[in-house]
Amino acid sequence: MGQRRRVANPPSQGVAGARTDCVRVSDRKHNICMVSDFFYPNMGGVESHIYQLSQCLIQKGHKVVIATHAYDRRKGVRYLTNGLKVYYLPLQVMYNQSTATTCFHSLPLLRCVFVRERITVVHAHSSFSAMAHDALFHAKTMGLNTVFTDHSLFGFADVSSVLTNKLLTVSLCDTNHIVCVSYTSKENTVLRATLNPEIVSVIPNAVDPTDFTPDPSQRQEDRITIVVISRLVYRKGIDLLGGIIPELCLKHPDLHFLIGGEGPKRIVLEEVREKYQLHDRVQLLGALEHKDVRGVLVQGHIFLNTSLTEAFCMAIVEGASCGLQVVSTRVGGIPEVLPEDLITLCEPTVRSLCAGLETVIAQQRSGSLPSPASIHARVKNLYTWKNVAERTEKVYDRVAGEEVLPLDRRLWRLRAHCGPVSGSIFAFVAVLDFLFLLLLQWLVPDRLMDDAVDATGPHRLWRQETIVKQTKSRSHSKGATSS
Amino acid sequence: MMEDEAFTDINGKTISLDCQSHSSFCREFTVSSPKTSMAKVMVYTCCVWLLSYTVFFFTQNTAVLSAAIVITLVSMMLHIHFVKVDHESLLVIGSLGIQLSSNYASGRETTTFIEMNKIKDIVINEAIYMHQIIYFLCVLLKDPSEPDAVSSVVPLFQSSKPRLNCLVKIYKSCQEILSKC
Repeated sequence: MGQRRRVANPPSQGVAGARTDCVRVSDRKHNICMVSDFFYPNMGGVESHIYQLSQCLIQKGHKVVIATHAYDRRKGVRYLTNGLKVYYLPLQVMYNQSTATTCFHSLPLLRCVFVRERITVVHAHSSFSAMAHDALFHAKTMGLNTVFTDHSLFGFADVSSVLTNKLLTVSLCDTNHIVCVSYTSKENTVLRATLNPEIVSVIPNAVDPTDFTPDPSQRQEDRITIVVISRLVYRKGIDLLGGIIPELCLKHPDLHFLIGGEGPKRIVLEEVREKYQLHDRVQLLGALEHKDVRGVLVQGHIFLNTSLTEAFCMAIVEGASCGLQVVSTRVGGIPEVLPEDLITLCEPTVRSLCAGLETVIAQQRSGSLPSPASIHARVKNLYTWKNVAERTEKVYDRVAGEEVLPLDRRLWRLRAHCGPVSGSIFAFVAVLDFLFLLLLQWLVPDRLMDDAVDATGPHRLWRQETIVKQTKSRSHSKGATSS
Repeated sequence: MMEDEAFTDINGKTISLDCQSHSSFCREFTVSSPKTSMAKVMVYTCCVWLLSYTVFFFTQNTAVLSAAIVITLVSMMLHIHFVKVDHESLLVIGSLGIQLSSNYASGRETTTFIEMNKIKDIVINEAIYMHQIIYFLCVLLKDPSEPDAVSSVVPLFQSSKPRLNCLVKIYKSCQEILSKC
């Protein structure tokens, strides 16, 4: 009931009450709502990050729900493994799976989700997602604590990044806490959004080490295979790869390339293959499903990453976890990811990458490289989701004790922080949002919304036993989900 | 056995749930919506008539006024005949099937019967309805040839839309009968 009241009068009392009781109980459980445009069935780093993090938080006893937009016929409410509840809200998709933002149209549905699930912390993901920014904006209007995770690096120079950086400044200036995936990413975000570095934490991504285990028997010993797995786009440095392939293939007749991924730059690689007649030595596998990635990785000796910008490179951790020697460009957050002896870092030029690859090939021939099993054993414990969840939990604990700015101070902060013009515009938008919320509270009062039945968290009805029973009798599990 | 209880629907209006137990394997649930209030009828009528009088004031054509009267009467009739549901009932007969009926304010009644071999289960589900997320009761249908798959879903109490506490009561009562057969 406490949270109910808190939603009803966002600015003052409820928040102060929440603050005192959270300082007393540090291991209290949170009701978390993850919001992002990107979730399954779409595939990618952000999607799997949200899913894995939610699963670990559920195991720690928190209640987690996810809100995303509807994907084709997948709309409404769905349950995933362990009772993870996903709301696929019918919001219009505009560009690149990101929803259109008008700042207002998503409020009724998001408010409904926040109220009926008794959410205490709203965690938005990815700066490309308009829905995440909308949710942050509405959550602050409703007086909920907010956390934002940034998954990508951005430039400062061109027009589009100037605009997105401005939006990010507005969106993050009154957010309680921000999480970045690497120190480089933190630096980038702090500069882009002119934030106080103290409210920015670094929590890296993780891989599931049981998914990526080495298997040296899959390697062909009469040759050296270099594996590249990335989307074939400009950002991933595919043009560099196109320069490396002919140069090294000329020098080493037993060198083979295995390239997984799809994208507009595929044509560059096909041209190179055509021009130098390398059809038997350069294999283009096309788009790979996540479950097939390991099967490709274990065939190789060396993993090559040619990215030009990268906040935290998951691919090199996956490669190293499969026991491959990693060669990568020294850009973004990559130097922080692996210990020095497991990775060879080069400048993002063809010559430097060739030199780096040559040394690793020479080491491979002389047999002085560590064995795949020993590399796996070291990488296995570096990045685990359990660790990520523990660190995120600390962020939630800290955020739950913080105060959400009441409307007047929020307006003041917006105008002080975001410049006189855009600050005033967004302060006006914030006032409209607040008035819209009051209208909705009058039309559909909070007391008329039924509290959702918890499938996760301390009051969950969906316990481990019911999941076991579910396999035996279906009618039973339905009782558990619905009654 | 008969009980009558008051609940609210998702808009906060009072509805009444009437559970009749005809025998141990036959139960009937009736959800009655509130009657249309006189004030609402007056407001709509006044709106149409004021509008038509304004048009009449400028055109000086009496046909406008007669049209307004006809429109009000016809739309009232259509409303009570096709839109306004007075009460909806769900009759569950173990081993035989489920009968759904809705009575309109004019006295028109529509009835559907679902055989037991087509019914997989009755569950409470969540859905996005307009700008709200609500709970509703629904019957899961199966194709007798494929007993494990759900072929379609029939929502119950569509016009009265009771809240969760009312749905849970009906759900538990239905499950008592369904679990016996």
